[in-house]
Amino acid sequence: MRKVLASILALALLVASLAACGNGETGSTTDPSGAADNTSASADETSTGDAEGSTELVLYTWESMFPQEVLDAFEADTGIRVNYVNFDTDETMLAKLEAAEGGDYDLVIADDYIIETAIAEGLVTELDKTQLPSIGNVNPIYQGQFFDPEDKYTVPYGAGVQTIVYDPNAVDIEITGYADLWDPSLASNIGITSNFRVMNGMALKVMGESYNTEDVAVIEEAGKKMLELAPNIRLIKDDNIQDDLISGEIGAAVMYTSQVTMAMLANPELKVVYPTEGIGFGIMGMFIPSNAPHSDAAYKFIEYILDPETAAQCFEYLGYYCTNSAAEAYINEEYKSFLTLPEDFTGDTEMIQNISAEAEEAHTKIWTEFQAATGN
Amino acid sequence: MKRAKFKKEALMLLPLYLFTLVFIVGPLVYMVILSFLQRAETWGVTSEFTLKNYLDILEPVYLQTFAESFKLAIISTVLIMLIGYPFGYFMAKLTAKWKKRTMMLLMIPFWTSSLIRLYGWIIIFRANGVFDKMLMGLGITDAPLKLLYTYPAVVVGMVYALLPFMIFSVYSSAEKLDWSLIEAARDLGASRIRAFLTVTLKLTLPGLLSGVILSFIPSMGLFFIADILGGNKVVLVGSLIQNQLMKAHNWPFAAALAVILTILTSVMIALYRKLSGVKDLEGIV
Amino acid sequence: MKNKTYLPNIYLGVILLLMYVPIVLVILYSFNESKISSVWDGFSLKWYEELFRDRSLFESLRNSIILGVASSCAAAVIGTLGAVGSSKVQMRGKGVMEYISTLPIMIPEIILGMVFMVFFSLIGLPFGMMTLIIAHTAFCIPYVFMLVKARLVGLDKSLEEAALDLGASKIRAFFDIVLPLIAPAIASGMLLAFAMSFDDVIISVFVTGVDSNTLPLKIYSQLKTGVTPKINALCTLMFVATILLCGLSILLGREKKPKKPAENV
Repeated sequence: MRKVLASILALALLVASLAACGNGETGSTTDPSGAADNTSASADETSTGDAEGSTELVLYTWESMFPQEVLDAFEADTGIRVNYVNFDTDETMLAKLEAAEGGDYDLVIADDYIIETAIAEGLVTELDKTQLPSIGNVNPIYQGQFFDPEDKYTVPYGAGVQTIVYDPNAVDIEITGYADLWDPSLASNIGITSNFRVMNGMALKVMGESYNTEDVAVIEEAGKKMLELAPNIRLIKDDNIQDDLISGEIGAAVMYTSQVTMAMLANPELKVVYPTEGIGFGIMGMFIPSNAPHSDAAYKFIEYILDPETAAQCFEYLGYYCTNSAAEAYINEEYKSFLTLPEDFTGDTEMIQNISAEAEEAHTKIWTEFQAATGN
Repeated sequence: MKRAKFKKEALMLLPLYLFTLVFIVGPLVYMVILSFLQRAETWGVTSEFTLKNYLDILEPVYLQTFAESFKLAIISTVLIMLIGYPFGYFMAKLTAKWKKRTMMLLMIPFWTSSLIRLYGWIIIFRANGVFDKMLMGLGITDAPLKLLYTYPAVVVGMVYALLPFMIFSVYSSAEKLDWSLIEAARDLGASRIRAFLTVTLKLTLPGLLSGVILSFIPSMGLFFIADILGGNKVVLVGSLIQNQLMKAHNWPFAAALAVILTILTSVMIALYRKLSGVKDLEGIV
Repeated sequence: MKNKTYLPNIYLGVILLLMYVPIVLVILYSFNESKISSVWDGFSLKWYEELFRDRSLFESLRNSIILGVASSCAAAVIGTLGAVGSSKVQMRGKGVMEYISTLPIMIPEIILGMVFMVFFSLIGLPFGMMTLIIAHTAFCIPYVFMLVKARLVGLDKSLEEAALDLGASKIRAFFDIVLPLIAPAIASGMLLAFAMSFDDVIISVFVTGVDSNTLPLKIYSQLKTGVTPKINALCTLMFVATILLCGLSILLGREKKPKKPAENV
């Protein structure tokens, strides 16, 4: 037996060495120290033409934020290789960025509230607007928000709201707001995301409170309300929740705008609900970390994405609200209704902001209680 | 006798000890320190001593998380034991050729990504998936069971992921078994069951216990099984630590949870050593 | 005949079969035309085509192989030296050190991942292949160490002593006598270590950086963000490769007639 295992290993080693040989063209990633040290990692790639600028862009964001064609076209047009690195949550991003002291990554796209923290931590470069001639294409609605009041650090890339989507064939009632999710007929039929500020926020909204309340007593009250919701919850997940709605695993779900777009494209019979209690509003922003090794490439990329036609292509793929007003003209009719807020929407929108550590802890606690209750 | 002379062989220990000190003792010590620090207002930690993190664990909700984790771990481990012990035992009785083949068959799934294998279970469990279709085809049920995102689905995932460890442990113990002892017991008139209980079980106990440890401990931390198959509804200590670390960003609290979990784990291992009289875990070896 | 009944064999067969059911399904659905696994739309090879076009998937596969090989090799050196050294040296604190060095496979992976993450960020080591290799080496060492140690216990000391008596240097005796005897244990330790490293999600999540996405991480993020049968296709290929390797090793093993009865792992 051991002999067998030994020979398997020998072969594995052989395969590995072959793989390592084949890797010469893609650069320095195999050299651990090189990969770790961003200056030397890029040095051997840029050595041929550093007067011309960087030849690599480390783009750090969620999976599936750009269509492959746009990335390919950018690479072809500029000769800059896009190294697309993804994170799963904003917090992972910040932790990694902090560990790298604002280095390693050239361009980050993340959510508003985490950007506020990143700016406060000094991890974000002030933008040099002269390098972004097309910055005027940005829809001013999405500018000047709490996380970057003077638009010094970020360029918005997509915005979204949390909406309820349900399948009228699988749900007995008509859903108009968050309060309906508490209906007993929805037992074990709802899917939600694990963003606890947003989810606890549903209870806060039903109670007529703000998402950003720092009153621990109110948050605890919301926690009790959430416990009543627990029997209706079938699953909690951030990604791909629309698949479970489409496949009939659940009848209703609270989801992000991009997921709504995908769900509606797959099954037009689904109903989208903009909750009457008001909705949470979020903006994603692009920023350049303070020690970005290839910031010139980052500027080129932002400018590239600000181009109306390219932006339209991106937003159709992304499925979030289009933050580029010049691009709206290029967006396919089929998508248009998904990529902007309905004009007749009258409810309040409120952005979720950072709150005190005490309030945050209360949120975590009621969320853990709620999550445990869903398992029973 | 000379004064304890320095043996050159001690140099061989140097890499291991250095690595252990720098990359295991270091991080673990830091974890303990971290667990006594205070969380900063927005981000990071402040170097203020506090017991708050440990006191927080005593809150009913977090104690419940530990209890739930233990419950799931116990259910899974018992099932793994019931399925894995006979497997390892029977396997040890096979001929050399078949032992080799069975081992090979066990090793192959080991080399396929465990995530992919979990994904296979999603295909089975999802509404109108393979399992539903099979039951409906046989006329046993007439509507999808919706097994995905339920507790049993998580248990199946756990059992499936950890079963090989139990099998390897029991097998390596049973392999060393002197079958003549059992035959002797039988010859002396012991019943089959009695012979099993007095001789076989006793001699394979180290393997069994090590299998229990090897399945019990990881089952408290395998958050991605609860995530993928359980729809995130079962909160394991592992998920809690991950949430505190990645989402709530409360590192000191995560560290405190980790310290407690490490202590619980060490107690279990110590208990194992005491019970089995063996120093290393059987099966890994 | 010890076995009068076939029941045990049937039991073994059934359990093995059950173990393969999910894998077989994954393979089957890699040929599914439809993207959704609840529908069968007919046979197709398009996911294999997509697979071969996906650069990042192959990059992550390459990273995983490099990581697995590097950490199992590092573990082999450190673990073997440690085990041999520990069998020859008696000193205080040895037991404690050994216990600590095997902790990485005793404590839940999540803790290990977490402490590495906070520790690396404390000492300012940038996240990337290096941090991955260190973290993986940490949990690979115990496998090699424990296997080699167990092998040394069962080893006949007289052989080495004889060599020393015949005038061989200690180093010579080690390389000529001890090493060949413990080589199988080293190999199976490395193999186990490689398999564990190649499949690790939890620890890698915490310590990965730019340019060091590993295959399990890629699969994990795809599982969460819309799995396409591309992953099934990749799994199928890996599965076939494993079987081929196993088959090959059986063939290789058959050429040499084993002198001893089959050893266990």
